[in-house]
Amino acid sequence: MTAPDASRGVRPRSLPDGVVGILLTVPALVLLAAVVCYPLIAGLVSSLFKQSLVLPGRSFVGLSNFGDELSGDFLPALGHTMVFTVATTALSFVLGFGLALALNVGIRGRAVLRGLFLFPWVLPSVVVSFLWLWIFNANYGVLNGLLMRLHLIGEPVAWLGQPGTAMLAVIVAKTWNSFPWMMVMLLAGLQTVPRDLHEVAALDGAGALRRFRSVTLPHLRPMIGMVLLLEMIWNFQHFDTIYVMTGGGPAGATTTFAVSVYDTAFKGFDLGGAGAIGALWMLILSVFVVGYVWLSERRSA
Amino acid sequence: MTTATAAPERTAAAGIARRAARRRGRGGRIGAVAAVVVIGCFGLLPVYWLVVTAFSPTGDVFAFPPRLVPAHLTLAHFDSLLHTPKLVRYLVNSVVVSLVTAVLSVVVSAYCAYSFSKFRYRGRRSLMYLVLASQMFPQALLLITIYLVFSATGLLNSYGALVLSFTTFTLPLCIWMLKGFFDTIPDELIEAARVDGAAHRVVIHRIMMPIATPGLIAAGLFAFIRGWNDFIFALTLAGPDRQTLPPGLVNTYVGEFQTAWPDLMAASLVSSLPVVVAFIVLQRHLVAGLASGAVKG
Repeated sequence: MTAPDASRGVRPRSLPDGVVGILLTVPALVLLAAVVCYPLIAGLVSSLFKQSLVLPGRSFVGLSNFGDELSGDFLPALGHTMVFTVATTALSFVLGFGLALALNVGIRGRAVLRGLFLFPWVLPSVVVSFLWLWIFNANYGVLNGLLMRLHLIGEPVAWLGQPGTAMLAVIVAKTWNSFPWMMVMLLAGLQTVPRDLHEVAALDGAGALRRFRSVTLPHLRPMIGMVLLLEMIWNFQHFDTIYVMTGGGPAGATTTFAVSVYDTAFKGFDLGGAGAIGALWMLILSVFVVGYVWLSERRSA
Repeated sequence: MTTATAAPERTAAAGIARRAARRRGRGGRIGAVAAVVVIGCFGLLPVYWLVVTAFSPTGDVFAFPPRLVPAHLTLAHFDSLLHTPKLVRYLVNSVVVSLVTAVLSVVVSAYCAYSFSKFRYRGRRSLMYLVLASQMFPQALLLITIYLVFSATGLLNSYGALVLSFTTFTLPLCIWMLKGFFDTIPDELIEAARVDGAAHRVVIHRIMMPIATPGLIAAGLFAFIRGWNDFIFALTLAGPDRQTLPPGLVNTYVGEFQTAWPDLMAASLVSSLPVVVAFIVLQRHLVAGLASGAVKG
């Protein structure tokens, strides 16, 4: 900090600054160690044991849980997680960026609009899930009603009852929930693009598209990398919307890592299996997280 | 709601039109308006539908094809909500747990953020990034051990279980947000006080915290929202008596043979109200907060 030193004045019984600084972090670090770090390590270690959620005792089984999961639940869960993550991230980026560009044109009432469009992001995740369950409802849902009125479908579709459309439904719901955040972040980024650069480019005869490619995009690249990576990380471990809307079904078609670990532990009581899927999940996730920390470190440096 | 959302949309669309016409010509203007309208429909029509369903009589809701513009409005679903003791209990639990979480989280994270912002010691940067990364570990995996530990210590099915886990998971965001806030307060202020012989304790409580009050309030609101919106921890750790609204509503309505959609939409509106209000208060801090520590419910 300010490096006040001993020569400036006598302060009896005062601790060195570094020690005070570290002491101030102790409550936070104790909580994080107890509720995040220890459970993380214990969860990973449990992958080496055969253990039940409800019975005491466990036995060491080496890597056999990994063998079981790699030939069982892992690959389908990986597939579903990747489809969900990539589709949701890409869709919310396209919508969020599109809206940010449109709002950046320079509008009166932009702040009001931005606040209004944030609505879907503000709602609790279970409310988002309820709302889209209702919209996708096979018997009374407004989506079927609209599509039938427009004669796009002949009879009601059971969106959540079929594997392909169920995945589509959770992707749409999560995209709806995520894109406003993308919009706010990218709009904030767009507003930092220097205006005179645009004007110089325009004087040199660059069209709107050309200016977007040569001025806006390069300036925004770090921001775009950041929001895409964060959104990937969140979607990669997203639980709420999927669990409430489909419970991982039908027939496991929307069972992502998060749902798989949860069900294996809390419905199958198989802690070893949950730990093994969790460890593999963590391994893939850590690639994103390391990328994120690296990016933010580079940005702040 | 419907009139309130439609009016600013229209004036803003006109605003786009005027300025865009000046700066970019017709092509850009039409493109921008079209994008706002199309994406705006995707964003806001579901919200419209949430509100319409919550205020429509049950008979109108279960009609197919659905009426897009309601013929009758009613408060009956809100009334029945308030007369369902179970739901009122969930609501009370949500309020208690989220408020305590907000207070605890602000206290703990304020000291830590102050340390990260104004002190220099070995390992500080690593600690900061460890804190940042800790919100990215898969929660479903952490939950297993948390459940076992809470079960062994008798914390399961208590407010304590929820407060402890919610508080911890709001720390990374609050710490990074508040660190950003403290960074904007000049070091000279601390230096001057220290030279005058003020102890760290005095500097923190008498000088820094009063200046940082707006930041503390913002962090508290984010912590409140995080606690209010949480689903997976409350679902697993709270038990039937201490359950908050999100898992409570799922257990009450979803998976029923015939879901009471208008009641559920009314309950959803009530559950959303506090966070919507909190966000309106937070508007000003929003972008900075979002950028600094990666907010996510």
